[in-house]
Amino acid sequence: MARMKFLCDADRCIECNACVTACKNENDVPWGINRRRVVTINDGKPGERSVSMACMHCTDAPCAAVCPVDCFYTTADAVVLHNKDLCIGCGYCFYACPFGAPQYPKVSNFGSRGKMDKCTYCSGGPEADLSPAEFQKYGSNRLAEGKLPLCAEMCSTKSLLAGDGEMIAQIYKERVVKRGYGSGAWGWQTAYRETIAI
Amino acid sequence: MSLGAHLRFLVTALLLAVAVGFAQPGEAQQVNPTADSVKEQQFLDALKANPSAELRGRVTIPDAKSATLERPAGREWRAFHQGTMTKVGAVAVLGTLIAVVAFYLFRGRIRLESGPSGQRLTRFNGFERFVHWLTAACFIVLALSGLNVTFGKSLLLPLVGPEAFTAVSTVAKWAHNYLAWPFMLGVALMFLVWIKDNIPGMVDIRWFLAGGGIVGKGHPAAKRFNGGQKALFWIVVVGGAALAVSGINLLFPAEAGGVLNLQFWNMLHGIVGVLMVATILGHIYIGTIGMEGAFDAMGSGEVDLNWAKAHHSLWVADEMRKGDVHGGKLQPAE
Amino acid sequence: MLIKRKSADVQRGRLQSALGGLASGVMDRRSFLRRSGLVAGGVAAASALQIGAVRKAEAAGYGPATGTKVVKNICTHCSVGCTVKAEVANGVWVGQEPAWESPINRGSHCAKGASVRELVHGDRRIKYPMKLVDGQWQRLSWDQAVSEIGDKMMEIRAKSGADSVYLLGSAKFSNEGSYLFRKFAAFWGTNNVDHQARICHSTTVAGVANVWGYGAMTNSYNDIRNSKTVLFMGSNAAEAHPVAMQHILTGKETQRANVIVFDPRLTRTAAHATDYVRFRSGTDIAVIWGLLWHIFQNGWEDKAFIAARVHGMDDVRKEVEKYDPKTVEDITGVPGEQMKRVAQTFATVKPATFIWCMGVTQHSVGTANVRAICTLLLATGNVGSTGTGANIFRGHCNVQGATDFGLDISNLPCYYGLVEGAWRHWARVWGVDYDYFVSRFDEVPAKGGRPARTRKQNMETSGHTSTRWFDAANLPAEQVDQKDNLKAMFVMGHGGNTIPRMPDAVKGLEKLDLLVVCDPHPTNFVSLGGRKNGTYLLPICTQFETSGSRTCSNRSVQWGEKVVEPIFESASDYAVIYKLSQKLGFAAPMFKNYQMVQGKIGLEPTAESILKEINRGGWSTGYTGQSPERLKLHMANQDKFDVVTLRGAKGSPVENDFYGLPWPCWGTPEYKHPGTHILYNTSLEAKNGGGTFRPRFGLTRERTLADGSKVNDTLLAEGGSYSLNSEIKDGYPEFTMGVLKKLGWDKDLTPAEAATIAWIGGNNIDAVSWTTDLSGGIQRVALEHGCVPYGNGKARANAWNLPDPVPVHREPIYSPRVDLVAKWPARPDERTLRIPNLHTSVQKAAVEKGIAKSFPIVLTSGRLVEYEGGGEETRSNKWLAELQQDMFVEINPADAAERGIRDGAFVWVTGPENNSKARVKALVTERVGKGAAFMPFHFGGFFQGVDQRGNYPKGADPIVLGESVNTVTTYGYDPVTAMHEGKVTLCQIAAA
Repeated sequence: MARMKFLCDADRCIECNACVTACKNENDVPWGINRRRVVTINDGKPGERSVSMACMHCTDAPCAAVCPVDCFYTTADAVVLHNKDLCIGCGYCFYACPFGAPQYPKVSNFGSRGKMDKCTYCSGGPEADLSPAEFQKYGSNRLAEGKLPLCAEMCSTKSLLAGDGEMIAQIYKERVVKRGYGSGAWGWQTAYRETIAI
Repeated sequence: MSLGAHLRFLVTALLLAVAVGFAQPGEAQQVNPTADSVKEQQFLDALKANPSAELRGRVTIPDAKSATLERPAGREWRAFHQGTMTKVGAVAVLGTLIAVVAFYLFRGRIRLESGPSGQRLTRFNGFERFVHWLTAACFIVLALSGLNVTFGKSLLLPLVGPEAFTAVSTVAKWAHNYLAWPFMLGVALMFLVWIKDNIPGMVDIRWFLAGGGIVGKGHPAAKRFNGGQKALFWIVVVGGAALAVSGINLLFPAEAGGVLNLQFWNMLHGIVGVLMVATILGHIYIGTIGMEGAFDAMGSGEVDLNWAKAHHSLWVADEMRKGDVHGGKLQPAE
Repeated sequence: MLIKRKSADVQRGRLQSALGGLASGVMDRRSFLRRSGLVAGGVAAASALQIGAVRKAEAAGYGPATGTKVVKNICTHCSVGCTVKAEVANGVWVGQEPAWESPINRGSHCAKGASVRELVHGDRRIKYPMKLVDGQWQRLSWDQAVSEIGDKMMEIRAKSGADSVYLLGSAKFSNEGSYLFRKFAAFWGTNNVDHQARICHSTTVAGVANVWGYGAMTNSYNDIRNSKTVLFMGSNAAEAHPVAMQHILTGKETQRANVIVFDPRLTRTAAHATDYVRFRSGTDIAVIWGLLWHIFQNGWEDKAFIAARVHGMDDVRKEVEKYDPKTVEDITGVPGEQMKRVAQTFATVKPATFIWCMGVTQHSVGTANVRAICTLLLATGNVGSTGTGANIFRGHCNVQGATDFGLDISNLPCYYGLVEGAWRHWARVWGVDYDYFVSRFDEVPAKGGRPARTRKQNMETSGHTSTRWFDAANLPAEQVDQKDNLKAMFVMGHGGNTIPRMPDAVKGLEKLDLLVVCDPHPTNFVSLGGRKNGTYLLPICTQFETSGSRTCSNRSVQWGEKVVEPIFESASDYAVIYKLSQKLGFAAPMFKNYQMVQGKIGLEPTAESILKEINRGGWSTGYTGQSPERLKLHMANQDKFDVVTLRGAKGSPVENDFYGLPWPCWGTPEYKHPGTHILYNTSLEAKNGGGTFRPRFGLTRERTLADGSKVNDTLLAEGGSYSLNSEIKDGYPEFTMGVLKKLGWDKDLTPAEAATIAWIGGNNIDAVSWTTDLSGGIQRVALEHGCVPYGNGKARANAWNLPDPVPVHREPIYSPRVDLVAKWPARPDERTLRIPNLHTSVQKAAVEKGIAKSFPIVLTSGRLVEYEGGGEETRSNKWLAELQQDMFVEINPADAAERGIRDGAFVWVTGPENNSKARVKALVTERVGKGAAFMPFHFGGFFQGVDQRGNYPKGADPIVLGESVNTVTTYGYDPVTAMHEGKVTLCQIAAA
């Protein structure tokens, strides 16, 4: 069984934001909702590194654990999805998420949140695969089409890797061995409680 | 981790708002950005020293919170929410219920020993009763909707199914958000109306030393509010304020100043909330079935003179001295 | 009921559909890995793509499911040339898929490429023709708009001459559009036709062409994978050419290459360097000569290469002696040890390549900068082989093609120049009488002490540059070397905020009688305001709504297929140029060679038929082999090309071809020349993509020796340098009929070829050359004998026909180092291309006024990855605009602290001319050094603090507006191309 993961090779990431607009394009994500973003650490200093970040689809996902209405589920590909029909927009998943992934459309009363939105690993939601309802609520379902998330597929420098965890770890490992440096599999320790030993 | 430790850790996080900084390469002749790159290991090491450390960078979008790349501290909050919060909540609420039932079984209803006098004394006027019931009604809805967030998933969800549970929870969320405001108003008014009668004094210490009359026979002397009621007053005022401050922050997440703050306010809100629920459960018991004659005070606003003498002897004496007993406050029984 | 998806059945179904191929063997592990983003050097996983496509077609799901077709076009945002794969259903562009098969982008995009679908959904496009009437936008029909514009143009022509109408074209035209617009200018009768190359790489083209023959990138993005040392200077590829970084970073990893970045800013590119060198803006020549000083000092130069293939290196040696480490550190700020290390690396860890962009070109010494870099490459033998070269990353998606097709004041298509022979050549190709063109040009009266010009002389005189169009409108008529001042601007696809001195541009706009802006989006020309009447807006579709070829930076030509019909009332460039030509009365002769089809607003020529005409005339640049059929074959077989060598696979329909037939692609399409991946590469046969340096500066040059005697140095290659299997084992001049005869090779011409040559040559048949022979016979025969049609010459380290033949450091016009101005002054005042160029006067005045004291911060400008050019198009794209919502200035923390400026707060940036000022946000960062500041150049729509949103037609205003950096940038123009000095000026910054 594949265990889908994301890995951003920060030594390749140039903060071009292709992943961000690819996500917007593929999933028709509205202004103000950022399922994926690129963060630059030590911006402007010689060691700066940019990392593309979205939901990491954690092992034992904290969002799912704390959700008061239990709207999360993990697919057999280990993708963490949620059911927007059940979400009440309480914000607990945002408190728990180590990566700031959950996004909420602003709704009118106070600063209160609408139904949570986040990266689906381009694999839709609980509705029937590739149905209009699924697209409208969650965006595309590339996994059901035999494709990987568009952010990774379109990454300008092949920095952002998506796919089975072992496979992308292997790719990363080979790169680090070949080039002799690597700033780490950002977020893996936090998301998957493991890191890639070189 | 104990609640105290949680709070300490969160407060620290709040005060420090820690961002990890990395060492700068020296003024070498060669600037080698590849070799000098930031490594994730540096952050992971920093985490060991400070579990609430977060890794912040720069983003171009206006959403400032998205500049946090990693914040494993959510893990601590999750542990609190799934562990401490649930335990404290369960112990406080169930414990109080059990205690009350046990007390009832053991002690039974506290009767008015001297029997009704037939003369009635006005204890709370209409405004006071309005304030009380406004606050009380809001509190009950807030408490139930609040408890639903922590316990609904395990208690209600299996009973009604996910769709119905979401419907209930959505209504509960809105009710919680909206009723928070009249509740805060109620607490504020209570504070203003009753503060003058709730200044603690020596008499309250004696009252407590005497066990408040609940244990044993006879009632210690008390003014308009006895020691227990004063304690309740202050619990409601302080607890209510804590709920209000934390609640307002949670209602306006964008202005709360980051997730670590939100986590803190959430923990405070939850713990204070369940403790308040426990306290009020006790209050409700004493005010209704636990003590004969007590409900009248907030029900009709008038209490029997004998009841008043038994529970609030000093207050009755005061009222008598002022002559209010004959001036209208004291009514003959019909 | 809760759909928990814990049900194993449902899940297994999903996983199998995702990874089904793994089990069934349709998709093996390698192809899966490729799809997961990986494997260096791997080709596209076509099988995986097909799985996706098939499944999508079968699914009865949303939009793209039924009747979806896939159309390939090319990204319109930079010169890398990424293939865009569009899924179209019912005439609507519903999705973008990664084009794994493209050897250039291998599925990748940057933020812009990944969002191009929005361009044809954008509700902020110009929707119909409009004109400004008393400050209000009024809707017009196409017929009425073109009719009114044509009448006005004719009126201006009658009064002020053809040269009074400025034709500003675009690097976002297709090749066919560029060519057509240049042809339009010829029929209108002016050389005042220009495009964005003026402001991005005009100095590169002029500089490089004057060194070794052709003004283009010598190698390719892909070839950088072979480099062991990669030096960037004034290039921030990570933001300007992101997908290029895929090749560079892969090369860096697989070769463990040195990546050296010279830049005043620690850019996103520099963040991936192994050696970052900060230097002061505007001191490029001192840096390059500083490197060469160490190279000569230590004997690291490639002596054999210099002897065989370079002329004039000794002249450079003499100049370079002045640039000792101390002097260089004083000028540039770079310590000698650092320079020495870089010099040694570049000269000895080979192959090494030099990448530059606008950081080098946008200077008042731009052309000299470029030549200095070329000299460094020549001295170290790093030209003409794999992994080496001048990898000039060009800007817009077709700026190379638009340059090639002469959207330029000094050239007819394919660099034929403006001489009579050139005009006669194109007149022959077009089938129009040469005298007709002569009659179309103005006679220029004598004025300002300058002699009068006849029509023919004016026809052969370079036009006025786009960088100074407003000077041609504003200056006294006497100073402008044409019949009259500029009275009209006809702008197709060009922003109005892209050149310095915007306060002057505003004055210029107010002087114009007619302003026509043809663009998908209303540009800054419109928002600048001031005009109340006589402005027309014509909606043009993007290249995704029409077909045509475009040339990437590496000279590969790619065919883009129309994705959807033009949206709203927009029309293609071809249609609009045709319609206007009809109105102006020369459509019949101009379009007679084309296949005309019915378009939205009338007839329009097909791009294929225009390209075929180009093929019949583009001999000098080798644009003759790239027929539409061959280009389409390449697009259909992209997966057959090697990602490193760009060679088509054996046994495939594109066997042996280089991807996109990079020019020169000699001979006729039938000759099947594979194109030239690497220019001047002697290790290949000429007919297989090999080459030599082009001798275009004579055959010998006289040199005076120390004793006063004179010798003639040869300008042809020596020492056994020639392309593989050349029958002439020495240098040789360009091929003409006369040369063929001398060699006895004229017998190899076919009778048809000989007849064509005879027809062209008339009574001087020997003069017919490889560039004018329309049969291609001369080229074919030369190639068959292993020779390069243009000859085998030496590159020049001394370009004696240009200002500063050997480049010398000159302080920027606005220099912070007043003390250095005396020793390294700007060039004396002169006239550059029809108007005065006051280098010295302006520099002197700045020094005397103490500008460096009151404006102590060096200001430079550059790109952001999310936006492009003037930015109106990208700032109207909601997916991009969200990512950069504010114009900003980068300022060093020390400078910010001195001025009490907080990160994110508003500041005023003021410039030294016109009391100019711009209100922008401060971005406090160590990215810029102390005393330096940076502003991106994509913003517009605010002017000196005033919001100009109201000047746009309603609903066509970009989402994001901001101050243009060019409001505060200043005077300074290259003496060869009038490139503006956009990369260095002075400013002051204060909290707002």
